[in-house]
Amino acid sequence: MFSNDRFEVISQVNKWSVMDFFKAISESFYNNLIAGNSYLLIFSGVKITLIITISGLIIGTVLGALLCAMHYSGNKLLKFISKAYIVIVRGTPILLLLMLLFYVVFARSRMDAIYVAVIAFGLNSASHIAEIMKAALEAVDPGQIMAARTLGFTKYGAFYHITLPQAGEYARPVYQNAVINLIQWTSVVGYITIADLTRVINSIGARTADPFFVIFLGILIYLMLAYITYLIFNMADRKKRVRR
Amino acid sequence: MIKVENLSKSFGSLKVLENVNVEIKKGECVAIIGPSGTGKSVFLYCLNGLEKNDGGNIYINGTNISDKNTDINKIREKMGMVYQNFNLFSHLTVLENIILAPVKIRKIPRDKAIERALKLLEMVCLVDKKNSYPDELSGGQKQRIAIVRAMAMDPEVVLFDEPTSALDPTMVGEVLAVIRNFAKLGFTMLIVTHEMNFAKEVASRILFMDERGIYESGSPDEIFNNPKKERTKAFIRKLKTFNYNVNSYNFDLIEMNSQLELFCFKYAIERKKNDYANLVLEEMITHILKYCYDGKRPPNIDITVEYGDIDKKIEIEIIHDGKTINPFEKISFEAAGKDGEALNANGGDGDDDDMGIFIVSNIATDVNFKSENGLNKYKIKI
Repeated sequence: MFSNDRFEVISQVNKWSVMDFFKAISESFYNNLIAGNSYLLIFSGVKITLIITISGLIIGTVLGALLCAMHYSGNKLLKFISKAYIVIVRGTPILLLLMLLFYVVFARSRMDAIYVAVIAFGLNSASHIAEIMKAALEAVDPGQIMAARTLGFTKYGAFYHITLPQAGEYARPVYQNAVINLIQWTSVVGYITIADLTRVINSIGARTADPFFVIFLGILIYLMLAYITYLIFNMADRKKRVRR
Repeated sequence: MIKVENLSKSFGSLKVLENVNVEIKKGECVAIIGPSGTGKSVFLYCLNGLEKNDGGNIYINGTNISDKNTDINKIREKMGMVYQNFNLFSHLTVLENIILAPVKIRKIPRDKAIERALKLLEMVCLVDKKNSYPDELSGGQKQRIAIVRAMAMDPEVVLFDEPTSALDPTMVGEVLAVIRNFAKLGFTMLIVTHEMNFAKEVASRILFMDERGIYESGSPDEIFNNPKKERTKAFIRKLKTFNYNVNSYNFDLIEMNSQLELFCFKYAIERKKNDYANLVLEEMITHILKYCYDGKRPPNIDITVEYGDIDKKIEIEIIHDGKTINPFEKISFEAAGKDGEALNANGGDGDDDDMGIFIVSNIATDVNFKSENGLNKYKIKI
């Protein structure tokens, strides 16, 4: 009898607490996402994060390629400039670079903070991407380039047909890594008043005083972005592997 | 076809080539041989402009490639090159490797280029591998593909830079067979090689390079059988002998044996003779180390093994300093007697090294001992 009673009590407690849990979740969900159209805020935060990442990446890639070209130009001055740029910018914390641009360089220009962020991340990722490109180019077997030259390819022909595809393959996993890094580093732009994903999450959490749910959601979104990056970089089952 | 005038090339203060003059005609297959580091490969690289020559002129079909106004890429289209390390394009399949240059440079339609590539692949028996990537092939297969890739451009001359040096010995044959086939088809070829038998057989002319240039040139028969000049003679002689120096009491017997084996393999010396030679060397060295040296001062035993083409005998010559003992003295008359008894008589002494010497004198068809100026000289024929 006694044991049966007790069982009743426990099961009731359990039922109550599970119900309570679901209730709490739906409450959090409502408070954090639905109330005051917070989900729209989150969408716009994701959008801004993506804009900064993608624009920064484009600028970084172009500038990185330029730095890399300067390194191999054969001109000592250009090589020095490229090296100095990489050393200085790569060694500067992105947050300080961001603040330097926002509060000092473009302080009077009234430029939108997002543009400043794009420039800052472009400059920063250029230094990393230049290094990635250099390493990938160095990894290409010079014998194969020589073989292409002896078949009659010009310097540029050999670069286009042999060096570039192979270097691209060497660079791919490292470049992917740089992109994912960049996505995560954009989370500091809140410092210069930009409402990116992290900043939005922060403000929602502060408003509802229930930060756990929304922070967890934020992590999931960043994870998803990283996974999408991974999918893009590994889209087709690549047949053109670099092999030795 | 190719005319080289007063070519010279140096790297820093090191002069590699000096005043090289040579002319190569269409259809010739020229083998370039010589000791290492005498500029054989550099010479080839100069011919297609991979290395800039410092002085002199190189004419390819009358065009001077040292001239700054010459389009070197146009010349290279007509000159195939096969490298020691194959240098296949690792991101492309075999077929793509072959058709890349014909399609992109000669502007041959893709399907025509493929057709021709397949024909060439058939010649080297690698049609099945057309969709493989280079790293799925063996060294020999890679090199055959590299040859096909050069041939696909329809070159007027093909330069081979030590095409078999990076290969496993078991794969050398297949590559040489392919080169031999193309040579038979009348392609003009220049081959830098260390495969002397191949050079002798395939080449219509041999260039022996030494002392910063072409030291001696001539037909294979002239170079290999009657070289005229000093260094050529020495080089050719060295090819035909095996040398080893024992300078320690714990010398590497296995290394010596395997080197001797390689030598015997090169000259197609029968297995039995090879084993005999190994045995004789081992017994002789053991004997010499035991009796002629005191165990303190380092030994110095020079071994030369030569193979006589005419009498088909291995001639072993051993020269060493140290104490003079003629091991054959007391053995020779006993060995001349009844074999079995002599064996017993010696075995009875319980002296194993006498036994060794006995074996040597039994195997050898001729033994000879001489001592001059403190050097002891054994000559043993097997």
